[in-house]
Amino acid sequence: MPSPSLFEKSSPFSGVYFMLMVNRMQMLYFFIIMPRHLVHPYMIMGIMAVGILSQVNLMLLSKWFSSNFSVQGYQGFVQLLGERTVRVFAFLGLFLILLRITVMTLGFVEIAHQYIFPSMTSNWLILSIFIVCFYLASQGMENTIRFVVIAFLSTIWMVIIYYSFFFPPIASMHDLYPLMPPEWSAISWKGLLLVWSSLSGVEFLVCLTPWLRPKQKMLKYLTIANTISVLEYLVLFISSLLFFSSNYLVKTKYPVLDMVRYLQFPAYERIDIVLISVHLFVLVFVNSIFILLFYGATRILLGKGVQQTTRMGFAASFIIILVSILIVNQWFWKSGEEQNIWLNLQIGVGAFTYLLVPAFLLVATKLKGRFKV
Amino acid sequence: MTHIKRVVLLMIIMNIVLLSGCSSFFVENNTVEEIAPVIFWSIQEGESGKLKISTLVPPLINEKKSMLTLQVNLLKQGRKDFNLVYYRELKSGQLRMLFISEELAKKGILPLIDTLLTDPDISQRLYLVVIKGNFEDYIRNQVDKQENLDYFLYRMLKHYETKNQGDITVINLHQFLKRLYSPFSDPILPVFKVNKENFIYHGTAFFKDDKLVATISDMNDQILQLLNNDYYLKLLPIPSLAVSLGQIRSKVIIKLASDYSSISIKVNLVGRIEEYRGDKNIVDSDELEDLNQEIKSYLEKQTTALLRNMQQWKVDPLQVGTHSLTPFSQPIKDEEWLRKWGDMELQINYQLDLQTMTNVNK
Amino acid sequence: MFWKKRKSGSDRKQNDPNKEVENTTLTLDTLKNIVVNMDDAEIIERQINPDHKVTLLYIRTLINQERLNDEIIEPLIHHSPAPIHECINVCKASKVNDLDEAQRQLMEGAILLSDRSEDQWLAIKLENPLSRSIESSETETILFGPKDSFSEQIEQNVTLIRRRLPLTTLKTEKFTVGSLTRTPIVLMYIEGLTNPELITIAKSKILTIDYDLFLDSSQVAAFMEDHVHSIFPQFQQTDRPDSCVYALGAGKLTILVGNTPFALIAPITFFDLFISPDDYIHRWLIGSFLRGVRFVSFFLSLTMIPLYVAINTHHYQMFPLQVLFVLLESRSKLPFTPFWEAFLMLIIIEIIIEASLRMPTKTGQTLGVIGGIVIGQASVEAGFASKVLIVTVGISTIASFLVPNYLMVKANRLLLFAFMLLSSILGIFGMALGFIIVLVHLNGLTSLKQPYFAPIAPLHMSDWNDLFIRVPLQWIKRRPVSLYPLQKWRSSRRR
Repeated sequence: MPSPSLFEKSSPFSGVYFMLMVNRMQMLYFFIIMPRHLVHPYMIMGIMAVGILSQVNLMLLSKWFSSNFSVQGYQGFVQLLGERTVRVFAFLGLFLILLRITVMTLGFVEIAHQYIFPSMTSNWLILSIFIVCFYLASQGMENTIRFVVIAFLSTIWMVIIYYSFFFPPIASMHDLYPLMPPEWSAISWKGLLLVWSSLSGVEFLVCLTPWLRPKQKMLKYLTIANTISVLEYLVLFISSLLFFSSNYLVKTKYPVLDMVRYLQFPAYERIDIVLISVHLFVLVFVNSIFILLFYGATRILLGKGVQQTTRMGFAASFIIILVSILIVNQWFWKSGEEQNIWLNLQIGVGAFTYLLVPAFLLVATKLKGRFKV
Repeated sequence: MTHIKRVVLLMIIMNIVLLSGCSSFFVENNTVEEIAPVIFWSIQEGESGKLKISTLVPPLINEKKSMLTLQVNLLKQGRKDFNLVYYRELKSGQLRMLFISEELAKKGILPLIDTLLTDPDISQRLYLVVIKGNFEDYIRNQVDKQENLDYFLYRMLKHYETKNQGDITVINLHQFLKRLYSPFSDPILPVFKVNKENFIYHGTAFFKDDKLVATISDMNDQILQLLNNDYYLKLLPIPSLAVSLGQIRSKVIIKLASDYSSISIKVNLVGRIEEYRGDKNIVDSDELEDLNQEIKSYLEKQTTALLRNMQQWKVDPLQVGTHSLTPFSQPIKDEEWLRKWGDMELQINYQLDLQTMTNVNK
Repeated sequence: MFWKKRKSGSDRKQNDPNKEVENTTLTLDTLKNIVVNMDDAEIIERQINPDHKVTLLYIRTLINQERLNDEIIEPLIHHSPAPIHECINVCKASKVNDLDEAQRQLMEGAILLSDRSEDQWLAIKLENPLSRSIESSETETILFGPKDSFSEQIEQNVTLIRRRLPLTTLKTEKFTVGSLTRTPIVLMYIEGLTNPELITIAKSKILTIDYDLFLDSSQVAAFMEDHVHSIFPQFQQTDRPDSCVYALGAGKLTILVGNTPFALIAPITFFDLFISPDDYIHRWLIGSFLRGVRFVSFFLSLTMIPLYVAINTHHYQMFPLQVLFVLLESRSKLPFTPFWEAFLMLIIIEIIIEASLRMPTKTGQTLGVIGGIVIGQASVEAGFASKVLIVTVGISTIASFLVPNYLMVKANRLLLFAFMLLSSILGIFGMALGFIIVLVHLNGLTSLKQPYFAPIAPLHMSDWNDLFIRVPLQWIKRRPVSLYPLQKWRSSRRR
């Protein structure tokens, strides 16, 4: 293995990497089930509103990125909050990360299971995905962050496939009516929460600031990333409305994939199999980042934050994640969304952390009185 | 040190394997030469509430073909039982056509369709066809005469579907369901008439929810294609006027009165007169104008009659109701719409723009 | 894999045979002792005048005998009373002081000359100029553009580069590697342009090389690689001087190795392996198109057969009915599963390719006929392989040869087998996993400690103008940013 330490920092990354990372984290899993939860055409406005709200949140976050504490990474957090608090947060973070990885992976595996290998034991799929994740993560944080470019380039083109749904005979304007909600009660608040939660994940990037080149205009990059994500959500949602119309949309489980299944290309039909497989790039990337963060948090928790990373420690935290996912999959994961507490939990927790982390950090820096714009 | 690490690694791997439940790495055997990817099911009513499903095996291969038929309670049961009958495993991943008998369609086909929809193997581009007559007899009779019969039926439907070739209605599973679930629109399906020798396009069936309520054919069907389905007809022969129109493209403008008491449908037809056997001299512009008027009033009469029928049947296959939707107002209820549609006044207006071919007779 | 520690070169001294000679004082006797049992060693002693005796010692096969006669023997016979090194007609004569030095000079084709009167040894270089003439490259042929290529003579190779880059800043640093072969290595770079960090890394890597035999530059590369287990070449090997010059001008290093026509270029990226000198000779649109074709064909050669296996084993739903019709027809009576069928055909193709490389050209053509027509046609008719597979294998094999770099072609074939295995187990999902693994690997790979997947990861958008497409040369204003050259701009007006 090339790098002696998993968390080595040889050259800082520009904000572009963070832009791609934010975007891909927002396009991980929830967008697949999103249209089904939004259903009504007037929720187009809802997506935009949440997108703007998220933008405000990112402005808070970018303030943190430009603060003095963020540059120092772990030391900055210790200065800001005290070591004990940081440990508590690391402990909480472990569960957040674990929950996030679990829900995203199992959600994806469920899709792969349904569309590609209906008869396969899903544990094998999880295992095969995680072996690849381990390989990526074991190359160290730097290489993993760099991998985002590949993950981005190999998946961003997928949105283009949906262009054909915007043209007749599939598209007709009346499927998008009405654009205004009839009354406030008709708004699917859970759907909005889902959109907000699917925009989350960005808050974990505060742990990656040491790899970021300091003194950049982070807001610009975060804005671009957020805008791309929201646009992608809109494209997918509008096209699924056009394709299904809202009454039918409720009855489909994975509208975004069913739409692709409908397309026929001259050489291949069933593009969904290819697209699901290619989407694996994003999943592997995000999982690897989170596995590394998990390891980092464990080290902070055990008070070994400054010591050399060890293969054993890394492997151990990897195994913990894998085993807990397998256990959840085996005994606790229920297919179908309504009764799936894990999914609802992640929607809630994701939304919660996304809302609170930037605000909390900002308030903490303000209170320290050393805030510098 | 390295030994310890290796042992630990080995143990970890073993544990993971154990955690995976010791289950075998089971993937479906889809090796193409061992399976028979059926491309159609034909479903009829069987005895005592059962379904009678049949298909042709082996599909797609130039081997001697035979018809398999089973009486089952459930569709999937049929799929399972076929495997017990036939030496290749039947797979439904390439299912392209579903032939439903008219009798079954009258009783409702939603349970059938739903089964197909939930199967992730089956493409939503599955063509649905209603069959008048005994389809099995036709297949049994024709399979010796024509190899790959099933395949050619699929090619035919696909040909007419691509870019809306006019002539016949082609509806797939998704389109059917979208119309079924959406308010203000009722599904339609093509109807084919079969006997021992022939497989003939008959017309279009109208569905109320998932039940067949009426079938239209001939001129009515042609008008339906112009009004809604394809907006294009390659040929429209009107025998009573001794004229054939060709390459007709239609543009339909539908306007609803704000209180839904009347509807005006304006149809602009652009096409050409391809054949004329009447006694007018259509090179002469006045007489051509006469002919145009005759065609116009004929079409208006026919269309009005068709729509009146729809109103009687209380179906809305033209999706007229969708025109009541606007961006900033509340949609009306589906039932309310159907009630209003039932006694709506019709104003049908055709605009013709027909070219004459110069070398017509006289 | 990652717990292994490399053994350090502690047993270095035992391997060096020259060190066994104990007596290091330079006398005729010790020299004679060294050349004992060497048939081609010759010692000439000549008494020029009573108090002046000259001894010549040389290896016959290494020196230029004509020049020996003309430039040394002749002047010595008609010698003047002047000191010996003034009367001989050669430009370069150096004093030799110890035995090691004498041996080295001797084996490099020098003539040792002893002047008894002054009690000193002179070494006069008169190497045998035995070498090939400059021919055109056979491994990287192009239709237009310069035709000359390197030969086995390192000096000549340096000349070819120096003629193209008449710069005093073009530095050539010489090293020797190989305890037995003593292969000369010349590290070339443009001072003030190439990133000094690269030079330092390369030098330190060359200095740590410790091995006995070096017969080709690829062996030198093997010792300089960052990742020994990777299947991707981390050094570009070329025998085209223009490629080397292009690399030097872009801020890379070139390493010439003695006795082989293949020079090494480093650091390279994955995408450099797809670049042919043709790209800069054609019109830019055509060059870009050809480069695009190369990338596409690389992708096709990797995916076509695995896709065939995947679809035939797992995803029969993926094909349109029209295609499935053909496929079922051709596969219906085959004895093997798609994976084994494809595997066997690929092995046969590999055998044919290897065989045709070893055969003389004319036999090679026969082999092509046998391989292509007889085996292809016959295996279909015998029912061992489907027609579709034969077509697929054919296209994919030809497509794999579009990559200009031969080492990459071979890497590609090996990857193909891995992909086939994955696709037979997990279908397209497995292929995606395979692609991720390969890309993760490429992402972590380095060449001379520089990222291998460079303009993409790490992202350098300004290098993309010469990546998948080649924009007009006027627009390629910068040298590759990923190499961090000291002079960023290619045009002299912008500095």
